[in-house]
Amino acid sequence: MKVEIKCWHGVASWLWVANDENCGICRMAFNGCCPDCKVPGDDCPLVWGQCSHCFHMHCILKWLNSQQVQQHCPMCRQEWKFKE
Amino acid sequence: MELSAAWHTLSTGLVPPAALGLAAPRSSVAGPPKDYDLQVAIEVLQRYDLHSVVEEWFLEVLQTDLQANIAPEFWNCIAQYENTAEEPQCSLLLLDAFCLLKCRLDPYLHSMDLLEKWTKAGLLLGTGSQGLQEKVYTMFRAILFFSTTKNFQEMIQQFYSRSFKIYMRQWKRSEDKANEGESNMSDNEQESEAEESEPGGGGLQCAGCNCKKSQCWCPTAMDQFQQLNDILRRLNLLERVSADAVTNILHRMIEERMEWRCRGEYERSFLNEFQEWIEKVIGWLSRVFLQGGAATHPNPEAISTLKRWRCHVQRFFYRLYASMRIEELFSIIRDFPESKPAVDDLKYCLERTNQRQQLLSSLKGALEMRLLHPGVNTSDIITLYISAIKALRELDPSMVILEVACEPIRKYLRTREDTVRQIVAGLTGDAEGSGDLANELSKADPVTLENGQESDDDVSQPEDWVPDPVDADPGKSSSKRRSSDIISLLVSIYGSKDLFINEYRTLLADRLLHQFNYSAEREIRNVELLKLRFGEAQMHYCEVMLKDMADSRRINTNIRDEEQKLPEEERPPFSLVAVILSSEFWPPLKEEKLELPEQIKEAMEAYSKKYEKLKAMRTLNWKHHLGLVKLDVELADRTLSLSVSPVHAAIILHFQSKSTWTLDELSEVLKVPVTSLRRKMTLWLQQGVLREEPPGTFTVIEEEQKDRAEKVVLIDSDEEGDSAMASQADQKEEELQLFWTYIQAMLTNLESLSLERIHSMLKIFVMTGPMVTEIDIQELQGFLQKKVRDQQLIYSGGVYRLPKSCN
Repeated sequence: MKVEIKCWHGVASWLWVANDENCGICRMAFNGCCPDCKVPGDDCPLVWGQCSHCFHMHCILKWLNSQQVQQHCPMCRQEWKFKE
Repeated sequence: MELSAAWHTLSTGLVPPAALGLAAPRSSVAGPPKDYDLQVAIEVLQRYDLHSVVEEWFLEVLQTDLQANIAPEFWNCIAQYENTAEEPQCSLLLLDAFCLLKCRLDPYLHSMDLLEKWTKAGLLLGTGSQGLQEKVYTMFRAILFFSTTKNFQEMIQQFYSRSFKIYMRQWKRSEDKANEGESNMSDNEQESEAEESEPGGGGLQCAGCNCKKSQCWCPTAMDQFQQLNDILRRLNLLERVSADAVTNILHRMIEERMEWRCRGEYERSFLNEFQEWIEKVIGWLSRVFLQGGAATHPNPEAISTLKRWRCHVQRFFYRLYASMRIEELFSIIRDFPESKPAVDDLKYCLERTNQRQQLLSSLKGALEMRLLHPGVNTSDIITLYISAIKALRELDPSMVILEVACEPIRKYLRTREDTVRQIVAGLTGDAEGSGDLANELSKADPVTLENGQESDDDVSQPEDWVPDPVDADPGKSSSKRRSSDIISLLVSIYGSKDLFINEYRTLLADRLLHQFNYSAEREIRNVELLKLRFGEAQMHYCEVMLKDMADSRRINTNIRDEEQKLPEEERPPFSLVAVILSSEFWPPLKEEKLELPEQIKEAMEAYSKKYEKLKAMRTLNWKHHLGLVKLDVELADRTLSLSVSPVHAAIILHFQSKSTWTLDELSEVLKVPVTSLRRKMTLWLQQGVLREEPPGTFTVIEEEQKDRAEKVVLIDSDEEGDSAMASQADQKEEELQLFWTYIQAMLTNLESLSLERIHSMLKIFVMTGPMVTEIDIQELQGFLQKKVRDQQLIYSGGVYRLPKSCN
């Protein structure tokens, strides 16, 4: 007997490769989106800091903009630098 | 001497001698005294101041005579009815009895007129406030017809109904003649109507008197009818004697006619037809109550009587018709909109009769008996409810009847598990049969379900304001009630739209993942339409789901294009197409374990790699058990092309390397529990690819054995059709688990609590957060009882406590 697969329709869910489930700022799931967005994924990406913490990009930008003098990671208080 | 002579003249002149006990026989009164002589006599009496007793004496004599002679004679006459079998004889007898009565009473009536005249001329004193005439008539009624026998009533009834029949027959005939120029069709119709109306009326019989045409006595009957009416009118007994009979006849006729014409016939209006018919009936009544049939001497009293009768007949008709329609309302609703004329008729009648209450209770009863029981499909209940909404809105624009009468439906639907699913399926046009809801959804100008606080004040024209009917629920604003449409009514069955959105989401997910045969455009259109109603925010999840589908397609094309660039030998052996979900936005998917064969897993890994390359920092989590596989099974003598689920595909792929597997071995490699695996095997057994021999061991059938009887494999309720989503009940269970930790903590601290206490405490601590999970007391009780059964909780003396070991 031989079985030939012509087409396999599979189902998968995508997820961010992150070390946490939720964004430390908005507390929403990373796999969801930040409170200002409607659509997750490409439209509401994550960014990583050099301290290895990550957030929704929109959330961390909002946070950084509100910081007057120095820009810190809201989680570990180290200076915030985007991971390249 | 003079006085004595005068009294003699007067007494013999005013009353028949027999009444005074004189010897002279009634018939041979020799030349009664002239009116003039009598007047002379009364003047003599007046001179002696004795005229005051005359009237009293007259009444006295009349009374005695009535009691002693006239009444027994009359009733004797009537009593002969028992000996008469034939109807014509019987009515003749009745007429004779009344003729006799009239001829006995005529002298008295004559004298009465004379006495009245004298009173007017001042010769007599009169009889106080009540006129003499009135006293005499009262006496007739009191003595003659104080109690009538049953036979007499029957006779009167028979007599009048006969004349009614003849009259109607004559009327119809004259109308037929008038219509002769019209089409034959209508003539035939009327002919058949006439026959139907007379069950015994063959062609040879006169429809009026039910006799052979040669023996027809219609004219005689009408003549007798006329005579009797004249006599009764003269004696002022018409109302007393015939009113009951006439009322009965009319009621019976209306009932019969209605039963025959209207029952079960909802597609045309009967009001006009009956209006015409009632006019005919009034024509007959005028024969009874007006002098000489047609109004020759329109006497105001008779006209007002007639008016009263007309009013009565109409009212009676409206009431009866409304009752009939109320009784049939269930069927009328079922047939709506074809039955719209019946609804309009009923509306018209209801405005004139006070039968709302009757309607409500009757409709409620009918619904409960015919609709709200376990034998009816949910979709049928919903269909009928939709018809009811449409029909009752027509009937009562204030929607109060709808609200009150259909409360049982709503309550009942709340207890059915698949209600929401059915409604949602209807909305999206999936349900077979009714496209009603789908049409309703696509209507322009939908009512948004955002329940803003509307006030009653915003009616455009203050003059048009109408108060709500008395049976309205004062808690609800009338404008809201009036503005609600079918969808909002259906959605409000559960009081929340979230439930509907969730169910819709589940159904949508099901279609997208399980059936793979959705039409993207239709789904997008549905979501847009629902957005108009439920608001942007509610439908957001569904939009993301649809976007996922579009994105997946794009990614698939992308990846396939890349594959095409590879050299032939590096290309994957089969094409893998993925649906990539944003897990946060999809309803929770059913988790099932399934270990796919290596080659598939490799392909999936390769796909993931390519995805990771496309989307930085993202990866894929495959749901192995979901999807659809198209494959060809090549056997020694045949090839099968099938579309199967991944589990089925995995099973058959394993048979490539080894043609015999036991169930346990398969279960081991696939990581699927034996019980569900056995169910999955049935597909391949059915396809004739595998056979089970001995039980628990499966082998490939390479060559079909033609001679062997085809093995029928029964599929015991496979979950093939089941949803890919976790069921509502499972989701609820999960929510309740959240409560369980709280309840445990409560009971640890407070030792024992009643159901109500637990509920109220949960309300305070748990149901206030941002993620509000509601639980009502029944649900909680069910949940706690389950825990008791699982021995995680002890229930005694009305309180719950934790078992000792837990402490």
